[in-house]
Amino acid sequence: MSSGLRLFLRQKKAVAGFIIIAALCLTALLAPVLAPGDPAQRVGRSHQPPTAEHVFGTTKMGRDVYSQFVWGARPSLAVGFATGLAITALGTAIGLIAGYFGGRTDAVLDLTTNAVLVIPNIPLLILLASFAGTVGPMAIMAIIALTSWPWGARMTRAQTLSLKSREFVVAARMVGEPWWRIVFVEILPNLVPLIGINLVGSIIYAIVAQTTLEYLGFGDPLNVTWGTMLYNAQNSSAIIVGAWWDIGAPAIGIAIVGLGLALLNFTFDEIANPQLRSGPALSRWLRLNRLRARELRAAP
Amino acid sequence: MRIPLRRLGVYLAAFLFAIVVNFTLPRLMPGSPVDSMIAQLGPRATPAAIEAIKARFGAVEQPIWLQFIDYLKGLATFDLGVSVKYYPQTVTEVLARSAGWTAFLVVTAVIFSLCVGVSLGAVAAWRRGGRFDAFVSPFSVVLIAVPPVIIALATLFAFGVTLRWFPVGYAYDPSLDPGINFTFFGSVFWHAIMPVLTLSPYMIGEFQTTMRSSMISVLGEDYVTMGRAKGLGDRAVMFSYAARNAMLPVMTNLALMLGAVFGGSIVTEIVFNYPGLGLTLFTASVARDYPVIQGQLLLMTMATLGANLLVDILYGVVDPRVQEGRT
Repeated sequence: MSSGLRLFLRQKKAVAGFIIIAALCLTALLAPVLAPGDPAQRVGRSHQPPTAEHVFGTTKMGRDVYSQFVWGARPSLAVGFATGLAITALGTAIGLIAGYFGGRTDAVLDLTTNAVLVIPNIPLLILLASFAGTVGPMAIMAIIALTSWPWGARMTRAQTLSLKSREFVVAARMVGEPWWRIVFVEILPNLVPLIGINLVGSIIYAIVAQTTLEYLGFGDPLNVTWGTMLYNAQNSSAIIVGAWWDIGAPAIGIAIVGLGLALLNFTFDEIANPQLRSGPALSRWLRLNRLRARELRAAP
Repeated sequence: MRIPLRRLGVYLAAFLFAIVVNFTLPRLMPGSPVDSMIAQLGPRATPAAIEAIKARFGAVEQPIWLQFIDYLKGLATFDLGVSVKYYPQTVTEVLARSAGWTAFLVVTAVIFSLCVGVSLGAVAAWRRGGRFDAFVSPFSVVLIAVPPVIIALATLFAFGVTLRWFPVGYAYDPSLDPGINFTFFGSVFWHAIMPVLTLSPYMIGEFQTTMRSSMISVLGEDYVTMGRAKGLGDRAVMFSYAARNAMLPVMTNLALMLGAVFGGSIVTEIVFNYPGLGLTLFTASVARDYPVIQGQLLLMTMATLGANLLVDILYGVVDPRVQEGRT
């Protein structure tokens, strides 16, 4: 077993997060088995509370919430992960180019990065989405990716800048390695932990943004996703009439994805920056600290 | 007081970017937004209104750079065009009506979360590895990862509909006349509780995380050891020595987060039917009222830039090293 994997398995939080995400992905993949039939089909009366037949109840339109939840996991997770990947790829590429090439390239890219960073994202997203009209998952992906790469780019640029002056990179340049080899073989592997953090953070952000857009009605209402489920439930005033299951199912789904990703992210952060670590290794430090405090207090 | 020119350049670029996006998008659209807006106006579509919309969205025979100059001239005089939904009101009027409520919500939520998040972060760092830290710190990361929509809906369901503790809509009791008296302020406060509690978790999570990591590195500094060596108590070292210095990164983070906070306020206002910018933006987007949507982006960009500038200035005051380093 590699040391990275062992380090990962020792972190209970990371394992819990991983299990949550894996279980949800499995649910999405196995949708045809777990909930056969069309989720958009009318199967019962309007807003029925959970029963044995419809375990999550029914929507205002008499659709099975469980079936919608299971099928809705597919586009929700797929768009979230794909968008997260796109954001990370864009951010890493721009950060790497800016950091490695420096000079005027860097000046322009860094200015762009910082400028896009301070523009409020969600209002910009809403503007783009409303001009695009009702948009499919691909358009949502593109819009989110194009507005949210700067965080990753900034982190990557800073790290690349510090790596560029390290001896192994200087040596590679002196040996005459071409720029692409230095970037991809010498620098990129050292950015892997950073890219991991960036990826998980971007997926979290993508899911938040996607849910917000779909909740506001910019998604395709015929496409069953967790976000459009929320939108439809809101439109049928599910909360006011007390149909908590209608809003609860997609809301809990999204919250659990957030929980799983957050647990993973927390661990990645701790692995990449050991200073932030909490947990068994630190209890000794804490005990010493307490002891010292007590002694200080006891001393007159 | 000196703000580095480079930062000003960034803000200028961001502002220009927002303007250019606003200017180009409608002109790039395949189906003309002008027609849909005129259709939206219906019987109110006087020739003057149609002219105004056409000029704004590029359906005129004029070179593009002249249109852009006209557009900039309009912006310089706060002329953001006319609203389609609320015609003949101008966008500026529509936005001015609701901006105050959003500002009130956001500022209250920021102050509240700053107090809670910073204290939680400071204590978590102080007792690093303890039970408090082991629970609060991962929980903060979870708070950042849950979309505000979910928190808003859960709050509405729990405290608004089931327990009926707080009112579920409007900024104050509609039967009251707005005025400077205790009943009115009480009503405003009462109606703001749920929206503020919805906006706060994300910020508390962010502040806690930033404060904790910055506090951990500050705790290793010599001046903290010095404070200890002088025999100061825990509380004095923690607040007067460590926490004050650890606040700096929190301030930077606050300015950068504002965009996300505005995003959260949009959703929160929609869920709680709160008459702020978010609700206006929502009704505008449903009615495809493009001028209002565009004005909204400009206003929120300006607010974020203003906040960033303010933080830059404050940073120089609070941390003199920054100024020295930059001159």
